[in-house]
Amino acid sequence: MPLVHVEHLQKRFRVAERGGGPLGALRRVISREGRGVREVAAVEDISFAIGRGEMVAYVGPNGAGKSTTIKMLTGILVPSGGSVVVDGLIPWRQRTMLAARIGVVFGQRTQLWWDLPLIESLRLLRHIYKVPEGRYREKLARLTDLLDLGPFLDRPVRQLSLGQRMRGDLAASLLHDPKILYLDEPTIGLDVVAKERIRTFLLDLNRREGVTVLLTTHDMADISRLCERMLIIDHGKLLYDGGVGAIAERYGGERRLVVDLAEDVAAPAVPGARLERREGTRLWLSFRREEIGAPALIAALTARYAIRDLTLEEPDIEAVVRRIYEEGLP
Amino acid sequence: MRVYLEAARMSYRCYRTYGAATLAGLATNGFFGLLRSSVFIAFYEGRPIAEGYTLDDALTYVWLTQGMIMPLFLWGWLEIADTIRSGSIASDLAKPLDYFGFWLGRDLGRAAYHILYRWLPTILIGLIFFGIGLPGSALAWLAFALSFLLAIVLSFCLRFMINVVGFWTTDVRGIMGMVLLFVNFLTGFLVPLEFFPPALRAIVTELPFAAMISIPNKIFLEQAQGRDLLLLLGRQLFWVVVFVGAAWLLLRSATRKLVVQGG
Amino acid sequence: MRLYLLLAGARLRGQTQYRVSFALQVASSFTSTFVELLALLILFRTFSSLGGWSVGEVAFLYGLASVSFALAELFGEGLEQASRMIREGEFDRVLTRPVAPLLQVLAADIQPRRIGRLAQGILALALAGRWTTIDWTPLKAALFIGAIASTAVVFLTVFLIGAAICFWTIESSEFQNIFTYGGTELASNPLQIYSRWLQGIFLYIVPLGLTTFYPAAHILAKPDPFGLPPFTPFLAPLVAALFLGLGLLIWGLGLRQYQSTGS
Repeated sequence: MPLVHVEHLQKRFRVAERGGGPLGALRRVISREGRGVREVAAVEDISFAIGRGEMVAYVGPNGAGKSTTIKMLTGILVPSGGSVVVDGLIPWRQRTMLAARIGVVFGQRTQLWWDLPLIESLRLLRHIYKVPEGRYREKLARLTDLLDLGPFLDRPVRQLSLGQRMRGDLAASLLHDPKILYLDEPTIGLDVVAKERIRTFLLDLNRREGVTVLLTTHDMADISRLCERMLIIDHGKLLYDGGVGAIAERYGGERRLVVDLAEDVAAPAVPGARLERREGTRLWLSFRREEIGAPALIAALTARYAIRDLTLEEPDIEAVVRRIYEEGLP
Repeated sequence: MRVYLEAARMSYRCYRTYGAATLAGLATNGFFGLLRSSVFIAFYEGRPIAEGYTLDDALTYVWLTQGMIMPLFLWGWLEIADTIRSGSIASDLAKPLDYFGFWLGRDLGRAAYHILYRWLPTILIGLIFFGIGLPGSALAWLAFALSFLLAIVLSFCLRFMINVVGFWTTDVRGIMGMVLLFVNFLTGFLVPLEFFPPALRAIVTELPFAAMISIPNKIFLEQAQGRDLLLLLGRQLFWVVVFVGAAWLLLRSATRKLVVQGG
Repeated sequence: MRLYLLLAGARLRGQTQYRVSFALQVASSFTSTFVELLALLILFRTFSSLGGWSVGEVAFLYGLASVSFALAELFGEGLEQASRMIREGEFDRVLTRPVAPLLQVLAADIQPRRIGRLAQGILALALAGRWTTIDWTPLKAALFIGAIASTAVVFLTVFLIGAAICFWTIESSEFQNIFTYGGTELASNPLQIYSRWLQGIFLYIVPLGLTTFYPAAHILAKPDPFGLPPFTPFLAPLVAALFLGLGLLIWGLGLRQYQSTGS
């Protein structure tokens, strides 16, 4: 029996249209006219199963239906169709019971108490999740050690750096030993070192304690580092369910260099890179790691043209999905 | 000049987008008007006139002041204080326009919206359900319009100054609440100043707050004619000059502080 | 209960970090409500009675309503924050925790600055005590406490319903003011001065009339203008409980709505 079982999941919303000043508002109050209501399907038809101890990336462009799915998995939202079972429970019907078995981290919204020291937030969460005192102490010591929380346990959360706060958030969501951890953009806005630290911790957590992790992210590096399997959704439908390797190899290896030339060049070309787009003196060049390294490419460019500015973009999931549409699945 | 007019227009448009809030606000104004009217009707039972106010005058006063709440915006306004806190004030001050004039323009645009969509409907409710009296001549309307405008400018200056105090303290919210709610009483919003005990009344009518609600109200009720009317308008004008001057001075020392200490 | 205390306590500790502001907020809460009381007293200088009630009797009713409302505000602040929580997606977090959402929302905020209003209500009651001679009996004392508790529950329920409505639409949150601030204003005066339909609403829909006016009239030995059964004043706790039940029902429906639409 898989831990998470989703079958033909569907979620439709009705969206009301607004506007028209005070008179428009009055019109909406007194009549149904002018109250344009559209129906939008955030999740059309999604089925998948996640086994215990798996670490799965759940990805797709913005608005693809990722967070709507996560909300249905956690019981925040009731599906409009299909079924969800998590650890033998129906999330929306047994939400409170399920809540004690799951951990949720929203990367952009902390669950910690803003004005209080981190340790106090953890203490409050212990009461919220009814973690026994002994178990709590043991767990806190372990997490403090693994996430290196010691230096800022006594500092108010609002004074923490983004990376420290994320570590605090992770600790907060693990105090009650959840069986499954939902992570929504856990590395967003972090620098490379902080990202790596979080990734190492998650890998360790998954390997040692067998916690199942469902991860949404825009960062291809998160995915290839952490997961073996990925689900790609777009427009509320499952586009891909399979190994990370094939996708990462084929699309994820492609990086992009944005170049501002000092002067207009008729037909710019650099060996090893593909000219993807061009606007005046700005060029978008994509290249593959195994074909040419960034330094070599930059060197080749500067040798040929006068360059004003350069930016290196790592591949993100938007680009991967775009290319899947363009080129099909491997 | 154009840029200030443009600021006023922008702000008017911006408020127009809050349609539903306007409706709810009107309902609230109307409800409180109803409650206050009921109290006066009960008080006046068997008594034709009190402190120079007939019941009709009292009801007119109730609905007029209910309507003036939003145009005068006395219930707190921290837009400038917020820009001070966020630091974006520095770039605002660096723009090649008069800072005070820019905000005054914006506030007048906002007031225009609130006169049209809050004051006017409130007066209409009073007219339809309580038969309140309106000024009888074009001249009286003109005098009231002028008085109303001066009151709005005065209220803006007061709010502007409280906001600018944000340069020195982070506690503007508390000060705003404190001052404006006191203002509620001293302007004659809660009770007409004519009902105050004589000693208190003598002081309160001399304060600038009387020029925000009490004076426009007297003019709307046509309680002053000829020379008296001019005197009332003159008093408002005097306070406007004083307040604008004070706001300028305060802003100048605030900018100096910003330049010296870098905020 | 223990969890509520823990959570609310955490919130309080967070707040004490802005202590200066806190003192000012208490002061402004006191003055803002105090001037209302002052306005009432000023009107009673001119007029001798309001719907057959003397100044002391009205002050008693006013104090009763104020104290109850202050208590409701003190503990219901979290409910007032609900619309923000829903709008900003914070409510999702509430639903991922194994604790009743209502408890979490209630504990999300607590506003000790509301003791300003509480102080003012107690002041009104003290004045009423000086100006009236109430024949206190144990039964009347119990009724007095019961009336305050019941009224506070009715106000809390209004906050609760207001919060629940936010699950459907955030636009209407301003209408709530009519029943909260409007409700205290209304409950501060003898019920007979209002129009029939207002009386009807506040007796049978939002039953403030039954939890303030009737108990107060009984304690002050004033006649019942509506000729309801003599045990009516003692129905206050029952009425409050029923109203709370209705509020909880609407909250439950709202929660279901939220879960099907995600705001």
